[in-house]
Amino acid sequence: MGERSGVGLVELAILEALDSRRAWHNRRPVKCLKLLLALEDGIGLARGYTYQVLTDLALPWKIPIPLIEPQGNFGSRGSDPPASPYYTEARLSRAGHVALAAERGEIAPVPIGLINGNTHRQGTRPPFRPASVVDAIRQVLRRPRITSRQILDIVGPPDFMTGCTITGDLAGFVAGQRTELGLQARVTVTDAAHIDARTTGAAGRGHMLPRSLQRDPSRPFIVLDNFPPYVSTDDIAVSIDKRAKEYAWKARHPELAEQTGLPIKDLANLTARDDYWFLCIPEDGTPAEMLRDQLLRVHGVTDYISVGLPRPLATIIRTWTRTHQHEDIEASLTALGDAL
Amino acid sequence: MRSGLPVVVLAAAVLAAEQVSFLLVGSAALWLRGEQIAVGDVDVVIEPGEPNLFQLRGALLRLAIRPGEVPSVHRLRELSVTTAITSYGRVDCMLERGRRDWARLRRSAGYVTVADAPMLVASTADAWALRRLFGK
Repeated sequence: MGERSGVGLVELAILEALDSRRAWHNRRPVKCLKLLLALEDGIGLARGYTYQVLTDLALPWKIPIPLIEPQGNFGSRGSDPPASPYYTEARLSRAGHVALAAERGEIAPVPIGLINGNTHRQGTRPPFRPASVVDAIRQVLRRPRITSRQILDIVGPPDFMTGCTITGDLAGFVAGQRTELGLQARVTVTDAAHIDARTTGAAGRGHMLPRSLQRDPSRPFIVLDNFPPYVSTDDIAVSIDKRAKEYAWKARHPELAEQTGLPIKDLANLTARDDYWFLCIPEDGTPAEMLRDQLLRVHGVTDYISVGLPRPLATIIRTWTRTHQHEDIEASLTALGDAL
Repeated sequence: MRSGLPVVVLAAAVLAAEQVSFLLVGSAALWLRGEQIAVGDVDVVIEPGEPNLFQLRGALLRLAIRPGEVPSVHRLRELSVTTAITSYGRVDCMLERGRRDWARLRRSAGYVTVADAPMLVASTADAWALRRLFGK
């Protein structure tokens, strides 16, 4: 990875290629296909792979600091993939400029790699809130005797951008242990008034609400949103639907059927624009709280990822700061902050 | 059985209910054998033979979130491993291991019931040995 930004080498090659074509954040973007062909001809990066990396660099639900500004369809959190690179364009984001400037030594290093992590590409380093990491580094600069506990309090837990809840051994993770984290969607028991309010908002307009919602507004409903970032919302809908089905073995294994089945009357995907949410209606007689707990055990509603840092998090931040403290880190952090 | 059953183990129980002949190995097997281990996915060694591959394919079509990605039976005959993402989590079906070692692994395996579905679970020694073999 780039030593002064922490950005991966393929990512840096993409940023360099954009920069050399003057695809700057305030200029016209370049066609992705041209960029991919240039990278393939220049350094032998296969375009299919490069395009995946390129699109990831632009998606704000995958990395907290997007380094590219996309033009066109770069895919969604559902199952629809990015459009062919014939039809998409890209240019550097302001943060992309900062990363390149740091790599070229024009400004002091910036901790973009530490903030963005690599779990979006099945790596083990999760993303963190940019402002918190920047603040922690500033505090280490100002107060060299700051304790590890204080650094961790400032940085906070990993931040997966979608608002999903994180479960698991966070203490072990920040101590540098390899562990599994659960990323949980928000599953809320609510009522028809809440659904009405949400669907009359701009994001929900135009959706057909399930009939049972209209017929029986007094019953409790379950809303699922803030999904984990690395499972497509379409897959989550299928996952729930599969569990709601009846299978031939149900009569032979009633206990298994009870543990695996989901007593759902209706599931509606009310996603619109960038607001991803499902409405779930429990079967008659099913306590909504019970169904909520069962939903949290469905793959995708809870996604498990392996995480691990090479050293304790506080040590990483302290070491990074001390390694680069002879340079004007304060200025580069300000540049990064301005770019966000 | 221990409390706090990892959800993904239910995928193996469903495979058993679907009458697929397999043997549970990996972290799930070790967990069911009482070891303190994190269970991230389910690894199953599939009994070789045409009827069982048909049974496996049918079960995976019902279980997998993306049924279109389930290989055909003639591919299952050749593949070493096939993976399905299910609503319980990830299931790795070890086909080559079954072709090579089914009889040996079967001899030392025993039945464990999950919910009310009995399934064959590899012995602790075999499960650890396989994990070492795959460098886990």
